[in-house]
Amino acid sequence: MKQFIAKLLLVAIIATLPLSSVRAQKQTAPETLIRNATVLTVTRGTLQNTDVLLRNGKIAAVGKNLNASANARIIDGTGKYVMPGIIDCHSHSMLDTINEGTLSVTSMVRTADVLNTTDIDLYRELAGGVTSLNLLHGSANPIGGLNTVVKVKYGRPANEFLFPGAMPGIKFALGENVKRSSTPNQPGVTRRYPNTRMGVEETIRDAFTRARDYKRTWDEYRAASKNDKNLIPPRRDLQLEPLVEILEGKRYVHAHSYIASEILMLISIADEFGFKIKTFQHVLEGYKVAKEIAAHGAGASIFADSWAYKIEAYDAIPYNAAIMTRAGVVVSMNSDSDERARRLNIEAAKAMHWGDLTEEQALKLITLNPAIQLGIQERVGSIEVGKDADIAIWNGHPFSVYSRVETTFIDGDVYFDRAQDLARRPELAKERAALEQAEPNRPRPKGESPQTPRRRPSGHEDDDIEIEKP
Amino acid sequence: MPKIRLGLLVAFALLCVNANAQRSAIDTYAITNARIVTVSGPVIERGTVVVRNGLIAAAGANVNAPPDARVIDGTGLTVYPGLIDSYTDLALPEAAPSPSPGGPPRAAPAPGPNSTQPPGLQPEVMVEDVIRPGGNEIEASRNIGITTALTSPRTGIWMGQSALINLAGETPQQMIVRSPVAMHVGFTPLRTGGYPGSLLGVFAALRQMMLDTQRYREALQIYERAPRGVRRPDTDRSLAALVPVLEGRMPVVMLANSEREISRALDLAEEFKLRLIIAGGREADRVADRLAKQKVPVLLSLNLPKRTTAAIPEADPEPLRVLRERVEAQQTAGKLAKAGVRFAFQSGSLTNMSDLLANAGKTIENGLSATDALRAFTIWPAEILGVQNQLGSIEAGKIANLTVVRGDLFDRNGRVTHVFIDGRPFDIKPAPESPKQ
Repeated sequence: MKQFIAKLLLVAIIATLPLSSVRAQKQTAPETLIRNATVLTVTRGTLQNTDVLLRNGKIAAVGKNLNASANARIIDGTGKYVMPGIIDCHSHSMLDTINEGTLSVTSMVRTADVLNTTDIDLYRELAGGVTSLNLLHGSANPIGGLNTVVKVKYGRPANEFLFPGAMPGIKFALGENVKRSSTPNQPGVTRRYPNTRMGVEETIRDAFTRARDYKRTWDEYRAASKNDKNLIPPRRDLQLEPLVEILEGKRYVHAHSYIASEILMLISIADEFGFKIKTFQHVLEGYKVAKEIAAHGAGASIFADSWAYKIEAYDAIPYNAAIMTRAGVVVSMNSDSDERARRLNIEAAKAMHWGDLTEEQALKLITLNPAIQLGIQERVGSIEVGKDADIAIWNGHPFSVYSRVETTFIDGDVYFDRAQDLARRPELAKERAALEQAEPNRPRPKGESPQTPRRRPSGHEDDDIEIEKP
Repeated sequence: MPKIRLGLLVAFALLCVNANAQRSAIDTYAITNARIVTVSGPVIERGTVVVRNGLIAAAGANVNAPPDARVIDGTGLTVYPGLIDSYTDLALPEAAPSPSPGGPPRAAPAPGPNSTQPPGLQPEVMVEDVIRPGGNEIEASRNIGITTALTSPRTGIWMGQSALINLAGETPQQMIVRSPVAMHVGFTPLRTGGYPGSLLGVFAALRQMMLDTQRYREALQIYERAPRGVRRPDTDRSLAALVPVLEGRMPVVMLANSEREISRALDLAEEFKLRLIIAGGREADRVADRLAKQKVPVLLSLNLPKRTTAAIPEADPEPLRVLRERVEAQQTAGKLAKAGVRFAFQSGSLTNMSDLLANAGKTIENGLSATDALRAFTIWPAEILGVQNQLGSIEAGKIANLTVVRGDLFDRNGRVTHVFIDGRPFDIKPAPESPKQ
């Protein structure tokens, strides 16, 4: 009987727990006024003692002594810094799987099909002031899958994550990951073509040759079917359709690359077929061919100071961002890692140390420049009236290691709030205690040791490695 | 002594079956003085069910046992429509054992004859070609009161076409109630090393085959309209099998448990206007609005998650998410009922079938009405699977599948005493005493 009462009580406790309020949830306010903060606008310098007004998801005003309506949320920004939300131009967060590595050309696969909106990494990224991500396919093959540009609307359904109007993109990859140089030969297993950089080039050229033929076949069919209703249409090929979009300038190419020669190789293929590479990703030897990259009009999305973690990374230097920036390349600093994504502010700050970029140039590496590389610069990347209210409030200058994010807004809604997070913890502890007593969570009398959750290694940015998240 | 009489009766019936492999010579039974839960109408507190020639001949308070009927005294017994397990792999040959970790990939299943697609992407595979009668698993299901099951292949992406079978019969042909019932899809990549080898590729492959089917259908239509002067399209049995799916004539069952898996299934079905059924559905309540709006039913697994490990002090605490999921899984059925989502229960590969009704009981403790729980085992699966005129309730003219219980079906002390399948009584082995916790 005692047990029964205890069980009843427990059920009652669980039933009354305000689960929805315990979970991270966006807070919506029609209007938010941040008063008297230091505003890092990125495009218009640093403004002291300035107010920022957010209204209906947009930045409504930036200036002194702004007024807000009576129901506005007022935040005292004294001593605090407001900066645009950080944009990570190379992320694999929230992807249930990263590589379709069975074929050399997998342009038919779409990262948008495998989004996991409950990935806790998203919340950690919000806590690092990140508001947008370029979700890329891995680098297992020369032509990989389609990307997805998202706003980090953690807690919302997947369709609300999609960044409206972002240019569609695709992942390409060159070099060691593609030719599988680090994969040992296994007896009886045929290695997937290509195995050399020559083969990589051939694979890409072959794919675009097929795409050109495919487009011609369809064009001819469309012309002929006007007169002949009995024509059987050509097959729709999901592998070649994105490549046709690239040829037509409707899809951005984000190309994983390391060494100078392969960068030049890809530029020459692009020239041959008449399309553009939008960004070279990683591009550790970009400083050697910065002029050529700038002349092609490509951007570069890089790490600050990672090097020698594989053969093709031996020649990397930390001045890469500065040298390419001065050559006229639009440069961004990316994470390619759920761990690094929480501290991209420090990665950008390094570019002031290595190569003397100005503060504004360094800020652009994680804000406006990645926005340009993703075709979303009209919406985000700087604090300007009319842009999306995707901003973060920091308790100090974001380039200091002692600074941290207090609040992160996306479209004017709060998706991370440090004070709220701390306040929530006792409630979560209570919820855990209640849940652990619930029948399905009680330990079994006998059993093997509990499975520890598998974590992603926090090491180097080799996105060829497929890791399943717990 | 109704118990003895019943035992004798069953023994006699089985003797007849053995003597004559066709049908039992006795084909008329009457269960008298029983509580009858018809599902389609009000409960009859004391009445008679007459079974004749494999069908329910009559059921009601004022029905009399025909003179030629074997009479079962149903005092203290409750007669339910035979329970339907709406997603199983019963009667299928054993799957190949899973490969040892780190070992070579599992050998591919045997390819379909002259298929254009690799195994795992062959929608033309039909379960009715491989089912076998008999076996311990069928008996285990029957022992807890299941009389009918949807059985479907469990491997691959296009897994093939399922059949609804009665859990009795000497031949596959006798077992089948309806075939094919639905096309089955799983989001598990091929493990052969070939494409698609990831979830990314699975969606691309599904999409490409739907597009290919659209073109196949169009090409055949053009060719049939004017064969002269049109180059004959290649035949393709894989794509041909998908034509009814694409035209909405055959439903597609997609295996999806988490919120995101279900959302992806809904997206794909919307893209190609498929008639979707979700199987699994552990977090279906989170997508309930969309399921209700799009009228997508759920074959809800009663393989409820529970902690399987012992408490070890030095172990990391389990994530809050996992703790919540286990508790909330028991509430899913109740929430679906409230949201107006149609669902049917299924065993979801439970290792111990005797947990099935106990787990249904847990959903009743967590917000589902006992009436709806019974419906989710009877008339709702019948409706979802398109056999509501044959099964799912005790009505004259329907197939005589009955589950007879001493006590109440969802009560811990309830015991299935016997089942009728196609009008034939089956002996029930008493379940072994479950160990006390």
